[in-house]
Amino acid sequence: MSEDLLIDVQQVTLRFGGVVSLRDVSLAMRRGEILAVIGPNGAGKTSLFNSITGVYQPQEGSITFASSKAPPLSVIGKKTHRIAQAGVSRTFQASRLFSALTVFENVKIGAEDHRGIGVAGALVKGPRTRRGEHTSDKVAASMLRFVGLLDESNTVASQLSYGARRRLEIARALATDPEVILLDEPAAGTNPSEKLELTTLIRRVRDERDVSVLLIEHDMKLVMALAERIYVLNFGSMIAEGTPEEIRANPAVIDAYLGSSTEETSA
Amino acid sequence: MNLLSRSSLKRLLAALLLAGVVTLMTGAPGGYGVPAYTGLHGSFLERVSYFGLFRTQRWFLFLTLGIIAWLVSTYYQRHSLTIRRRLEPVMAIPTQVMQRRTNRWVLIGLVVIVTIFIPKLVHQQFWMYLIVEQIGVWILLALGLNVVVGFAGLLDLGFAAFYAIGAYATAWFTGVLPTPAPFNHPIPTLWCIPIGVGLAMVFGIILGIPTLRLRGDYLAIVTLGFALIIDDFVGTQSGLTGGGEGSLTVPKFAVHVGPVHYTWGISPTPYYYLCFLFVVIFLIAFTALEYSRVGRAWVAIREDEVAAESIGINPLKYKVMAFAVGAASGGFGGVLTAGLIGNINPTLFQYQVSVNVLILVIFGGMGSIWGVAIGAIIVQFVTSYLDNYQPWGYQLNDLYMYIGALLIIMMIFRPAGILPSRRRQREIQSFEVDHEGHLDEVLTGDEP
Ligand SMILES: Nc1ncnc2c1ncn2[C@@H]1O[C@H](COP(=O)(O)OP(=O)(O)O)[C@@H](O)[C@H]1O
Ligand SMILES: [Mg+2]
Repeated sequence: MSEDLLIDVQQVTLRFGGVVSLRDVSLAMRRGEILAVIGPNGAGKTSLFNSITGVYQPQEGSITFASSKAPPLSVIGKKTHRIAQAGVSRTFQASRLFSALTVFENVKIGAEDHRGIGVAGALVKGPRTRRGEHTSDKVAASMLRFVGLLDESNTVASQLSYGARRRLEIARALATDPEVILLDEPAAGTNPSEKLELTTLIRRVRDERDVSVLLIEHDMKLVMALAERIYVLNFGSMIAEGTPEEIRANPAVIDAYLGSSTEETSA
Repeated sequence: MNLLSRSSLKRLLAALLLAGVVTLMTGAPGGYGVPAYTGLHGSFLERVSYFGLFRTQRWFLFLTLGIIAWLVSTYYQRHSLTIRRRLEPVMAIPTQVMQRRTNRWVLIGLVVIVTIFIPKLVHQQFWMYLIVEQIGVWILLALGLNVVVGFAGLLDLGFAAFYAIGAYATAWFTGVLPTPAPFNHPIPTLWCIPIGVGLAMVFGIILGIPTLRLRGDYLAIVTLGFALIIDDFVGTQSGLTGGGEGSLTVPKFAVHVGPVHYTWGISPTPYYYLCFLFVVIFLIAFTALEYSRVGRAWVAIREDEVAAESIGINPLKYKVMAFAVGAASGGFGGVLTAGLIGNINPTLFQYQVSVNVLILVIFGGMGSIWGVAIGAIIVQFVTSYLDNYQPWGYQLNDLYMYIGALLIIMMIFRPAGILPSRRRQREIQSFEVDHEGHLDEVLTGDEP
């Protein structure tokens, strides 16, 4: 595997009974890039994310995550929480916050070390436990400042506006100290000004926090503004790969996706 | 008020039917050798005295109650919004009061003082025993099950099994079972605490690891089955457990450390203080657990397991942990019970014990440590009182009917328990926002 490769998806096929969600899909993501995956609804984008994060187990192919801190991790067959601990974090198409917890608690849970048992620590509250609490408090606060939600720390998550929820999800994912973050339609359901904010935020995730970004998004303006390279999925197959300019000019893409629904994509 | 509208008459019919059913069910039980209709017959004829004020047939009381309920519900349906708005601040008072730090400490201080002086106030030994056996131990059991059900959101229907394991481990290690104690060497009862707790925990983990991998309802079924197996085992394996007759007398708790020699004797008061000590320890420990990273991980899993996994939480590990903590508490209750009452037998560990403890947790407020403790005191006190005095023609068999009715009413008016956990209440509130108006639909069965 070459030096700067971060996620290497090779010829992955994922089936659900007769439905083929991913057919022979390959994708190579470099360290430090903002990469987008686009495609019509049902193309298999979320399935690809779920395969990379261990939620789905593809029947064929291989997925490798090359952490800078540990030996390369072969993802298929690993548990989701193991992959998350190794440094792959994500958000969800429909946001999945812990709605009864406060904004602060949501992010703090992400920052906490979930290895070990922790019951003895909770009861005795020794110096190690207290140091752990202190660290996760600090991380949570700095992530909330980063996404601009620090003032909402004590708000219950379910009471946030839609755009704020999406930012909170990003803060929670970042709190796990990942090397790459997978964003599944982060701008879905947000208004134009929130979309603009999110665009800036996502670029800052890469530039300031040094976290690579893999992005699924329908909003072409956002994708074209952010992505350095784009992969195009259609009916479970990868039909194109290239820079935004190349993708815009690719006849296969226009045929499958842009041409048929340019009006919808900006909606 | 439109009492004669269709929906109002429908409600009247429902109220009358309910009154009839309740009258039949609360009547004298039938039995072998008496005609089948004796019970029904008795239900209508039996006369009961109410507070010594008046005597009448029970059906008359239920009929009156039914009609009152009908009038109230009709009134409520017309004015539900106003009533709800007025009641909201009142219903929120307990939570608000408890949220203030000073109020909390004043309340805790009062509770501690009252609890310390209870043995001075209660002069009947019989009631002191009840307080220890029926309230003290059951607070511990309910607090333990609250970790499983309230914190981790797992439905455990076999809590009695771990209670039994703790108690029988004690009987075994103190050498009062037909099987000789391990190594033929009985040990003091107090030493059985770590053994009973550890053994229950091991059983919990062995049962939990395969079962907690599965989603949802499987756990309820497996734990239920496990409790029935344990119940059956201790009841039928006479050679090992003494069968239906149970064990010989487990020796009293005793401490012999250096110059300190103390034995808990016949009087219930020392047991009372022992129980009190353990309740305090449980309260402190479980509160610490709730607000630790473990407690937060439990909430995360309960709320959204997929999201929890995505931030590195291993759901299986944390579920097994919650289950093991619950099992350990059950085991602890078992050891305590064995030391307290001496002779243990299978009737103490029947399936109903699991349900009873679960009722305490639901009534007090799942996930709310103080709520569960207070709920346990209220429910256990009332049921003990009913059992022993049988006022107003109350019959032992009817207990679960009343408890069922109580739980239904609770689910409508106070679904998060009498002293709700803040986190749990938020979960329910965000649910109600999505399902506005459900209260009226539940009450009346049709749209207002
Ligand atoms: N858990 C599942 N079970 C069965 N079919 C699934 C599952 N997840 C995804 N699919 C199928 O895979 C295809 C791709 O879905 P998805 O990855 O959600 O598409 P996208 O995110 O690109 O809109 C769809 O046909 C969908 O029905
Ligand atoms: Mg999708």
